[in-house]
Amino acid sequence: MHTSYTPDQPTARPGTWKDWRWYFGNFLFVAPFLLLFTVFTLAPIFYSIYMSLFDWEILARSPRFIGLGNYADLLNDSLWWLSLRNTIYFAFLTAAGNAVFALAVALGVNQPIRGRDFFRVLFYAPVVLSVAVMGIILGWILNTQFGVLNYLLMWTGMPAVPWLSSPRLVIPMLSVATIWWTFGFPMLIYLAGLQNIPETYYEAARIDGANAVQLLRHITLPLLRPIIMFVAITQLISHFKIFGQPYIMTEGGPGRASFMVIMYLYQTGWRFYRMGYGSAIAIGLALVILFFTLLQLRFFGAGADEAN
Amino acid sequence: MSATLPAQPVRSDVPRPQARRRSRASAWLYAFLAPLAVVIGFPFYWMLALSITPPNEIYRWPLRFFPATPTLDNYVQLFTRQDLQIGRWFINSVVIATSETVLTLLVCSLAAYGFARLEFPGRDQIFYSLLFALMVPTQVTLIPTFLLIRMFGWLDSYQGVVLPGVAGVFGVFLLRQFFLSLPRELEEAAVIDGASRLRIYWRIALPLIRSGLVAMVIFVFLGSWNNLFWPLIVLNRLEMRTLTVGLTVLRGAYGADQMGLVMAGAAFASIPVLVFYAVFQRQILQSITLTGLKA
Repeated sequence: MHTSYTPDQPTARPGTWKDWRWYFGNFLFVAPFLLLFTVFTLAPIFYSIYMSLFDWEILARSPRFIGLGNYADLLNDSLWWLSLRNTIYFAFLTAAGNAVFALAVALGVNQPIRGRDFFRVLFYAPVVLSVAVMGIILGWILNTQFGVLNYLLMWTGMPAVPWLSSPRLVIPMLSVATIWWTFGFPMLIYLAGLQNIPETYYEAARIDGANAVQLLRHITLPLLRPIIMFVAITQLISHFKIFGQPYIMTEGGPGRASFMVIMYLYQTGWRFYRMGYGSAIAIGLALVILFFTLLQLRFFGAGADEAN
Repeated sequence: MSATLPAQPVRSDVPRPQARRRSRASAWLYAFLAPLAVVIGFPFYWMLALSITPPNEIYRWPLRFFPATPTLDNYVQLFTRQDLQIGRWFINSVVIATSETVLTLLVCSLAAYGFARLEFPGRDQIFYSLLFALMVPTQVTLIPTFLLIRMFGWLDSYQGVVLPGVAGVFGVFLLRQFFLSLPRELEEAAVIDGASRLRIYWRIALPLIRSGLVAMVIFVFLGSWNNLFWPLIVLNRLEMRTLTVGLTVLRGAYGADQMGLVMAGAAFASIPVLVFYAVFQRQILQSITLTGLKA
């Protein structure tokens, strides 16, 4: 029996039979997780790399090894580059928009004013909607012919704007819609960060005669910098995976103006059943995301060190 | 430097201008927040308003912000049309999201407790190598996991949708942080009382990390309820669709001439989550804020 005080420490000396039984019992806590993780995440990661080396069409012939052929095709695939350019554009626009907009809103609802709980609850509410609901509602509001936005524009005497059917506007509008849908989460993260700044800093600065803008510039923003960085990185990564918004609101159009990498992956894998090439697309996207993550970490990481 | 500090004049009139300044500042704040609240809140209103608007009013100019002849006909059609199985889709979504939430919490909290408190050879090496998996975007696993599910014969099944998502590294990482922040004394006392490992985990540790679990429930449940890509490719039969996928079908079929019906579907799909959110908003926002700090 175990009489030790912490669940960690077996009583017997390591290496005895009893000891291994104790360790095994401990291991059983993590075993279900490790099993599922291995089957559904770890093995698929490696299998994906393996598959990307084959001409692999599930409904047609048996897989044929082609080495780096899929990657060579990818480099010459204008659809890949187009979807990648659209995705990068969307991800940067949305991440930057969310990082700034959520910060502005968080600064607002952090003040001790009446009704701020109402504002917080309302501003987080869009986050709980599904992408399908969000796409249906905002797609209709942005509709050129019957949308509310154009109705208001025309009411003020301006011409209607083809928000989602103009190649130039479609990605910025998808980005605005996405910010409406998702900014509540970074807002909460900023709020947590703002509440961590000691009130005494502000008091000291106010005694020195600092005004609100100076407090923001010299206390709030510098102390919030690591959190701003965290938000920017996580937002960028998550918005690289955009799929639902264009799938529902624009089907990638007009033309291919809002065609994204994951839509291309969906099309390649589940419309044309080209699983090998699809794997290459997925890995290509993963490498791009990794590249931007490291770049951002380096860029902001150095900046954050300087600031401290 | 001079030894005498300049005396701070004690001014009796200080509080009043400050109070005035504060109220002027909060007026500015309302001028920013109130229009924002209208913009953020309007789409919710619009969904509900259009869902009770008859078709002949939706496609009409000028727009009306409230229907002249409100009707529940869209909702009636939603439940009676043969090509829509919205009741069944709702049940599918409830079953899938609930089971994914329960399984994920169980599997991840067990593992998190193991990695935080229970020793076995190689434990920390395994844990830190898991963190590398966080760097790999989930999209890489889509195709192989799909082929695996197909091989198991799990297409069009609940387990095919649920099981691949259960073992998330982020969940383990997060809950481990919560377990590590608990004082060890409580668990040590329980060991002295002769409680087993499983009992300590279930009866002592788990109840103490309640706020972490609440945040996890919200993330996992909403993530599962709102997931589009995975159920879209795993569930093909009409009666197996989830609400989220079903809505894209609804929108595709009726988006052109029956927007009221589509909005009724959207409202039906979001009212349960919105009510849940409204009831537990305080706890939800607190848990997420706290969790945001830990991560």
